Amino acid sequence: MKKSISILLLCAPLALMAQNPVIRHQFAADPTARVFNNKVYVYPSHDIPAPEGQRQDWFCMEDYHVYSSENLTEWEDHGVIVTQNRVPWVKPDSYAMWAPDCVCKGNRYFFFFPAAPKEGRGFAVGVATADKPEGPFTCEPEPIEGVVGIDPCVLIDDDGQSFLYWSGMGIRGARLAANMKELEGDALQMEGLPEGFKEGPFAFKRGGWYYLTFPWVRKEGGTETLAYAMSKNPLGPWDFKGIIMAEHANGCWTNHHSIIEYKGMWYLFYHHNDYSPSMDKCRSVCIDRLNFRADGTIEEVRPTLRGVGVNRATDRLEVDRYSKASEDVTIALHDTLNTFKGWYSTLPSKGSFLCYNDVDFSGVGDAYLTAHVKADANTELYIREKDVRGKVLAKIKIVCIGEGQYRRDQRGQWLRVTAPLLYVPQGVTDLCITCEGEGASIDWIQVKNRPTYFRPADAQPSTPDADGFIRRWTVLEPIDKPNRSNTVFTDTYLREHFNKEYFSQQFTLLPRDGQKVKAGKQSLTWHALESTAYNVKLFRFAEERQKQVYGVLFWVVTTIDCPEEMRNVRLAVGSNSASMWWLNGEEALLLSGDRRMVKDDGMSPRLSLKKGRNVLRGAIINGPGMSDFCVRLLDEKGNPVTNYTIINNK
Amino acid sequence: MKHLRNILAVSTLMMAATTSAQIGQPYIHDPSTLAECDGKYYTFGTGSGGLISEDGWSWKGGAVRPGGGAAPDVLKIGDRYLVIYGATGGGLGGGHNGRILTMWNKTLDPNSPAFNYTEPVEVAASDGLEDNDAIDPGLLLDPTTGRLWVSYGTYFGNIRLIELDPNTGERMKGNEPIDIAIDCEATDLIYRDGWYYLLGTHGTCCDGVNSTYNIVVGRSRKVTGPYIDNVGRDMFHGGGKMVIAAGDRVCGPGHFGRTIIDEGVEVMSCHYEADFDWNGRSVLGIRPLLWRNGWPVAGDRFKGGTFEIESERRGYALELAVDFVRMAQERERFWDMDLTKPVTPIPSQTLAEVVGTWPSGNINVRIGDYMFRPHQRWTITPVPEAGGYLSNPYFKIVIEGTDRTLAATKDLELTTVPSFTGAPEQLWRIEQLTDGTFRIMPKQIPGQEGTNTRYVLYSAGDSTPTLAEYDFGSDNSKWNFRAH
Repeated sequence: MKKSISILLLCAPLALMAQNPVIRHQFAADPTARVFNNKVYVYPSHDIPAPEGQRQDWFCMEDYHVYSSENLTEWEDHGVIVTQNRVPWVKPDSYAMWAPDCVCKGNRYFFFFPAAPKEGRGFAVGVATADKPEGPFTCEPEPIEGVVGIDPCVLIDDDGQSFLYWSGMGIRGARLAANMKELEGDALQMEGLPEGFKEGPFAFKRGGWYYLTFPWVRKEGGTETLAYAMSKNPLGPWDFKGIIMAEHANGCWTNHHSIIEYKGMWYLFYHHNDYSPSMDKCRSVCIDRLNFRADGTIEEVRPTLRGVGVNRATDRLEVDRYSKASEDVTIALHDTLNTFKGWYSTLPSKGSFLCYNDVDFSGVGDAYLTAHVKADANTELYIREKDVRGKVLAKIKIVCIGEGQYRRDQRGQWLRVTAPLLYVPQGVTDLCITCEGEGASIDWIQVKNRPTYFRPADAQPSTPDADGFIRRWTVLEPIDKPNRSNTVFTDTYLREHFNKEYFSQQFTLLPRDGQKVKAGKQSLTWHALESTAYNVKLFRFAEERQKQVYGVLFWVVTTIDCPEEMRNVRLAVGSNSASMWWLNGEEALLLSGDRRMVKDDGMSPRLSLKKGRNVLRGAIINGPGMSDFCVRLLDEKGNPVTNYTIINNK
Repeated sequence: MKHLRNILAVSTLMMAATTSAQIGQPYIHDPSTLAECDGKYYTFGTGSGGLISEDGWSWKGGAVRPGGGAAPDVLKIGDRYLVIYGATGGGLGGGHNGRILTMWNKTLDPNSPAFNYTEPVEVAASDGLEDNDAIDPGLLLDPTTGRLWVSYGTYFGNIRLIELDPNTGERMKGNEPIDIAIDCEATDLIYRDGWYYLLGTHGTCCDGVNSTYNIVVGRSRKVTGPYIDNVGRDMFHGGGKMVIAAGDRVCGPGHFGRTIIDEGVEVMSCHYEADFDWNGRSVLGIRPLLWRNGWPVAGDRFKGGTFEIESERRGYALELAVDFVRMAQERERFWDMDLTKPVTPIPSQTLAEVVGTWPSGNINVRIGDYMFRPHQRWTITPVPEAGGYLSNPYFKIVIEGTDRTLAATKDLELTTVPSFTGAPEQLWRIEQLTDGTFRIMPKQIPGQEGTNTRYVLYSAGDSTPTLAEYDFGSDNSKWNFRAH
């Protein structure tokens, strides 16, 4: 019991990213996918680099993990379910836990796995059972009698009869007893299969046809394809139909697979040595769509980097797993020693492109795009919708040689850059990244929704929040007021500069939403807003409107409607940086110097608010840095005053 | 005479200036928490590199940290050092797209054959637009849970908290940042006695003698906050209680680091934006860290002077074991006091009046009622050429106006010798404890190898001083310096 607890503790949920390969933190080969309870479970074997004393250039596997997903893009690792030194009949430290399978019968899960037995030579096949697909699994004390070989696969027919297939001197099959733990009848050699090396049988039934699929070496001295045969009988004889997937282009010798139907689509799970390019005994799980022809035969599947599933635009999209690219695009590993750090792609020149399909933009609102890029010269990448000449969604500017005072040389360095989204596509769409200048490398892109800092003020009067903060203000777009430092904001400076007239009726105007004023050469608009936070983030107000954010002067106005006269209240203000406040035209408070926005930083003298309307006006000035403020009224005991309304100026 | 007094005043000022300043080349900005490696101290700063000190008092350049960027921190975990730093960001032309990286080293000594940083790993990043700039990281290894936390960020948005895997230095899988403060830079987290403390730097940076940088603190029962200040204000609302601000001719303290030397003996490290005695340069500062009512506050640097050395045990004063010399006084009985007679001050007893009664050789010490007599008044002076320890140089302790020097003996007792020779048993390490009292420790015990770090001036009885092992739990180990 203690052991199973410790195993469970290892099962930290891990959100794995989409695209091929789908398991991205360790090797996983020979994937057997099964659908249990509307979820896909994958039972792969687990390649590891051979420890000392083991043959270094051969397969090395000591345990099994199980993974699950509901969308084929995010995979959870449930941890180790069976390990070589805890199976009674398995030779410890034999590192031969090869391709497994798992099926469900009568609410129990039967996990079939080959391994080297303590007694005798070669491989045997054992069973472990569990109540749940992710275990904990209990191993049978002995392997299945009469099975010598590897790669077990179980098919449960519509009538409940189960069949076991395995690979041992060809591909064999036999009936399984009702207890799923012993054979019923003889092990039969499967007839009708082509000459050449075969292993890894995977059998399934569709539309009255039994399919026997298997890795197959079709050429003398070649590597494995995935092939299949069909029959009207579960144990054959079989009618060979051809290839599901051709030999791996890079020479990876093995392939091993499974086929499932999930949510109305058919998928091929297979493996490839993506994370171990120089040693093909360490492999990773990939998934691609599989289609049947009307006659039940299977269309050949071409392996893709993109894999399957729809990605949310707000996920990090590893665009090196593209669905299509111009021929000059290259892919490279970030770190050849730690390949699990993944890849990036390089678009070498103007006109290079790559496309990434099936990106879901639902849920994207006021958003921007971030990208991880590097370049050797300042350049631009465009993100377009649908195809290489599609509408431009975002323009990623890469400035690796900056200008001005703090000029930096960031050529060849990975940079996080942002770009505004020029529009938000509808639903699921395809993206293309095009190189519009000098070449650049790109690692990933991700759309981020912006926080909502403000909402337009509505027609109803507002009230202060529970802590008394006034969140509704009519704010004027910033007036340019260049200052390199906040330390110039002395009392004298502020009185002089706040009392200058920047626009007419500066101290008397009750602005309406959308009203414009002229301040010098600037034409500026008032906005009636409700801040979503207690503090009014003027930096964001300006930045969202693509206005000057540093070296600026803001004017804000709000109207307070009191049900009765209020005596001895104080205006409590924090501002970043300096600010000045007027109540009904009288100066109430000055906060000078280089300040931070601190709640209740400065207090006015005791004030009286008259019954009815009171106008509160503020001016906030800032050099570099963020600019924001918070304002509330406090009574003599320091408690927030909340029994008034804030008139909307709309 | 007036002229002479002026010269004396000037020379006294000069001496004060030279002895209050640090020595070496302690130039740094945003120093990491001090780290000890093979008997040396290290701190890393903004840019590359950092400072090394043999004794904690004299610092010079030479520490090596690749990667550049801003405001690193360093922490020993097991037998390795984890270094964390912010690359890019900070708004200075690099925008606010910061990255925080960690790397390990088995040693901090760049001359060691084992010195080799692992490949840096990114643990946090900001995209330049979001309400955070991922630089200025501070590390906390939670002593209650063994979990490793990082606070980071600047004035550009929020200070964030993330969790790292203490075995790898990488981000914990699935860990999402938590916003814990605004209006800060160069934050650091510490834990003490059931509380987590978030220390942040407020004010203006990088403006030399006009920088208003200062360090404030809030605390929480949970590492995830909220961090509340002394008036109940959340640091997420700009709250913070002052830990250290300008004073003592330095301004702009920033980038807090806490170092625990011994139980009840703590120092804080920071940089001063400008040391007015050092050309206004940015230098390393090390100050006693005191704890008052559960709040950290920087103590003043002990600079010496003339004091009563008062025992915390009884309140008696350390004194020479010499005859008490009565002072003559024309007594006025209260029932026949002449109220028309003007009152005049009685001068204090002078050294000259009593010194002749003292033996000329070694004189022992005891603890007695403080009567502000010459045998009870000690002048404490730094001896900069004798080296130092974290926060200060060694001091000599002499009877005011004489060269009679307090010294440790080989049998762990105390004596005074007629004159100061610079011998290590005449040098004293003086450290302010977290409760505001001091411990006083001889640099060396005669006949014992190496620098003494065990034995302190100790009240064996109310009236009997000795040297005994330091024990923060006992007032016998503690002393106060009183100038009166």
